[in-house]
Amino acid sequence: MKKTIAHEFLKGFWEILPPFRLVLGLCPVLAVTTAVENGIGMGLSTTFVLFFSNVIISSIKKIIPKKVRIASYIIIIATFVVIVELVMKAYFFSISKQLGLFINLIVVNCIILGRAEAFASKNPIYLSAADGLGIGLGFTLSLILISTIREILGKGTFLGMQVMWNSYEPFAFMVSAPGAFVCLGLILALINLFPKK
Amino acid sequence: MREYIRMVAVLTAIAAVCGLLLAAVKKGTEKRIEEQILVNVQGPALNNVLASSTNDIIQDREEITVDQEIKIVFLGKKNGQIWAIAFEMTAMGYKGKIGVMVGFDLEKDRLTGIGILTHQETPGLGARVSEPIFTNNFKDRVISEIFKVKKDNGTIDAVSGATISSRAVCSAVEQSIVLYSAIKDQVVKKK
Amino acid sequence: MEYIILAINAILVKNILLAQYLGNCPFMGVSKKMETATGMGMAVIFVITFATSITWFVHHYLLVLLKIEYLQTIVFILVIASLVQLIEMFLKKIVPALYKALGIFLPLITTNCAILGVAVLCINNEFNFLQSLFYALFSGVGFALALILFAGIRGRFEIAYIPKVLQDTAIALVTAGLMALAFYGFMGIDNSLQALMIK
Repeated sequence: MKKTIAHEFLKGFWEILPPFRLVLGLCPVLAVTTAVENGIGMGLSTTFVLFFSNVIISSIKKIIPKKVRIASYIIIIATFVVIVELVMKAYFFSISKQLGLFINLIVVNCIILGRAEAFASKNPIYLSAADGLGIGLGFTLSLILISTIREILGKGTFLGMQVMWNSYEPFAFMVSAPGAFVCLGLILALINLFPKK
Repeated sequence: MREYIRMVAVLTAIAAVCGLLLAAVKKGTEKRIEEQILVNVQGPALNNVLASSTNDIIQDREEITVDQEIKIVFLGKKNGQIWAIAFEMTAMGYKGKIGVMVGFDLEKDRLTGIGILTHQETPGLGARVSEPIFTNNFKDRVISEIFKVKKDNGTIDAVSGATISSRAVCSAVEQSIVLYSAIKDQVVKKK
Repeated sequence: MEYIILAINAILVKNILLAQYLGNCPFMGVSKKMETATGMGMAVIFVITFATSITWFVHHYLLVLLKIEYLQTIVFILVIASLVQLIEMFLKKIVPALYKALGIFLPLITTNCAILGVAVLCINNEFNFLQSLFYALFSGVGFALALILFAGIRGRFEIAYIPKVLQDTAIALVTAGLMALAFYGFMGIDNSLQALMIK
């Protein structure tokens, strides 16, 4: 099959939509999706890192010796993570405080290292850019989907605004740790109902 | 051998470029991060202890050197006159450091109040030192009083089940009273 | 006594997998078979303890002194990656039996966020060295406990009827949720113990 930018970009939204099709990077998905705001913050931070690390790795793939490639990828990814960390602290302090540890942990998000190894190290820059952006935005959408369900049911709010009727008793299970696992499992089952293509 | 040298060279080059990039970003964001921390962490407590001030408390901060250590002092002004100051003091609580913002009225030599900034105490027990029911103990008190919990023959009602955390806050307040007496003149002169 | 509470806290109350959401990739990935789960659990206990003690020293005696704390993430992940490599080489040469048992899990551990997560948590919580060491050890034990229990439950799936859409990861996640709910029952015992201690 011929590789096109459109295809590489769009596959991240359905065919290998993380974290459902590509079951990687579960920790942030479970941890930060108690509020939509956090889901968006996490998703966009991950997209930023994924896009830039894909582009950089793809552009210097020829000069990286095979034996130290993983180490080089880690340095590059970690650099972008630290940039995100600093920028978030400077401009989105409250979200960065909410996400806390999980911003540092973008560095060990398997999706990013996985894309570097499986895609960016073998494909030209423009395709890697499309791949990184597509998968990153797909991941962001998944986070928004999960956090919307969890926030509305668990707190009765959406982006902090009350959306349920006044006497609605928040279903606190949804924002707790066990609720995160169950909710993700059920959404995954729902998505499995539809074929990949 | 050649391969080996190439490996080291490439890794060093990548690390160097990344290091430079990060140093630049750090430099660019440093000031803002510092301010964001002040606004978000110290801000709420400051607005509380220096309540009736009319100035931007976070902008009007001064660095004062005491015993070769730099202390950030926040100034509360009314009609352009400094009426009160506040600074942070820490003490060891049950699980870690407790950061306490203590405010002083310069004319009356009174505590205006305190606010807990950071702590790692147990939720439901020690963590309750940050609730108004405990912090109000220190509101509008003369600094010559003895700030100790009742168990230590003082006047402060400790949070029940959290004597250690309450003691830590008291000791932070007492330390800050000592510091206040030491720096008061410096601040008044600056007026 | 302090360490007993720390242990209960890290293993049961705030289990790193089920309550802190750290290290979930291997939790889903290697829990299909009992042997692999046990191997992974042991490897994590080993690496997490080592890694946290080293990163603690690196942070307090290198990063703080040089005033480059902002590089924490990058330095820690490099320390962990090289440590894992070293352990791998060392085991291969010195203890081949152990290498055979743990070897295949070691490379996976670098990207296990539990390791980096605990290392950073110890710094954020301002633990001293001993506290960090024990916290890491107990977190590792908590990880292994949850992983092995989970593998035991997942073994049962082979003989159970599971609807097609729920198979594999979906049912695993729901099961993990129920397990997390069971661990929720431990919530608060560390506080009550602490309250008892003070009295």
